[in-house]
Amino acid sequence: MHDEVLKMGPHDVGGEKYLQIDTEDHGMTYWEKFSNGLRIAVSAKKIITLDELRLTAEKFGDEYFQMEYFERNGKALTHACLNKKLLTDKELIAGKKRHKENFTIPMIELPDPKSIIHLHDGEPHTHSRDDFQEDEKGEGPPDYFLEMLTIADILTEKKLIKMEDIFLKIEQFDNQFPTRGIDVVTRAWVDNSFRDFLINDAKNAIIDIGIKLESFADIICMPQSDKTHHLVVCTLCSCYPRALLGMPPSWYKSRSYRSRVVYEPRKVLEEFGTIIPDSVEVKVHDSNADMRYLILPQRPKGTEGWSESALSALISRDHLVGVRLPKNVI
Amino acid sequence: MLYDNKTSSFPCFDKDSGIRVAKRSSEGHCRTPAYIRGKIGVIERYCGNFPNPEQIAICHPKPDIIPLYRCRFYQKDIWSHYTGNDCDTLELEIFEHWLEPATF
Repeated sequence: MHDEVLKMGPHDVGGEKYLQIDTEDHGMTYWEKFSNGLRIAVSAKKIITLDELRLTAEKFGDEYFQMEYFERNGKALTHACLNKKLLTDKELIAGKKRHKENFTIPMIELPDPKSIIHLHDGEPHTHSRDDFQEDEKGEGPPDYFLEMLTIADILTEKKLIKMEDIFLKIEQFDNQFPTRGIDVVTRAWVDNSFRDFLINDAKNAIIDIGIKLESFADIICMPQSDKTHHLVVCTLCSCYPRALLGMPPSWYKSRSYRSRVVYEPRKVLEEFGTIIPDSVEVKVHDSNADMRYLILPQRPKGTEGWSESALSALISRDHLVGVRLPKNVI
Repeated sequence: MLYDNKTSSFPCFDKDSGIRVAKRSSEGHCRTPAYIRGKIGVIERYCGNFPNPEQIAICHPKPDIIPLYRCRFYQKDIWSHYTGNDCDTLELEIFEHWLEPATF
């Protein structure tokens, strides 16, 4: 839909015609969490900057969308480490081999089939080796995870990062970050002066209630109202207020959401079950540079006098990105 | 207005002033999506000065710290076949060297 000459690379998808969005969040595997933790530890120490990693991924060309999100980011980290001579090809190959062996499940010789004859429905029954193969085909981790383990080893040996940095990030993303945005919203629902502070100067308001933000990015809070419905996307990658909401859900990182929500936001909202009346302005925020956006939903009707912890049960992350609205309590 | 390493650190656009995003191609990493290039909108706010991501991406030892703005556009001014409401808008962040003064 836009001028192909101007298009920067495979990542620049805003305006593309694309398919229906899978609105379910598929969560993260352990190796995705580890790779994410490593990437953040490396960029936080400025060993390789986020923009360098983005540029590296953007140069993958057609392969960009052939890889899934964490594989793409992992492979970009490997390329950038090799380019910066933080590790050699030889070290990478040796490290991957070593780690792969750790995941190899030893084949156990099965007993002689004749010795395991047993009865099925009263009839003698013999098992052959084939009956057991299914149990022995457990899939190992993906190739890029072996690369991430190798990079983590080598950067740790060089004392550039610590393993604890990675494990701390995994823990924070699992347990701390996802609750912060909800705490901020419930506080704003019960405290009008905090709400005003949040809308005028979100970063300082959040720090003021004791949340230590790890991210360098500035934060802007957009309040939903009867006049305007806000929603957030990052058409160029996956910028998201991670320190407040945790990792973005699968759909936020998907090509379908990133490409479509900028030119047909009302249709996309409908796919999430959110119908916005014609009288309401829909405002899309493309979180494309240094700001991060927190959407403040309206307090559900029927919750007068509720405590912050009771209110928090009504909020989901999707409300704070603007794709869904909390339900009123009747 | 190609980036010439001479961009002032002092913001030269006021809130609500009309802007056009430069319609040019870019090399390397850049935070100005193709769909917004050449489109006309207004300055929603000045966000502060930030290091130029185009320079950070190529490991520039001292990237320039330059003005960043949030810009507001009517959807119907971005997409000729926009099917939503005329009042619908889109906002995004654009570095100063991608902006030119414009009037509707």
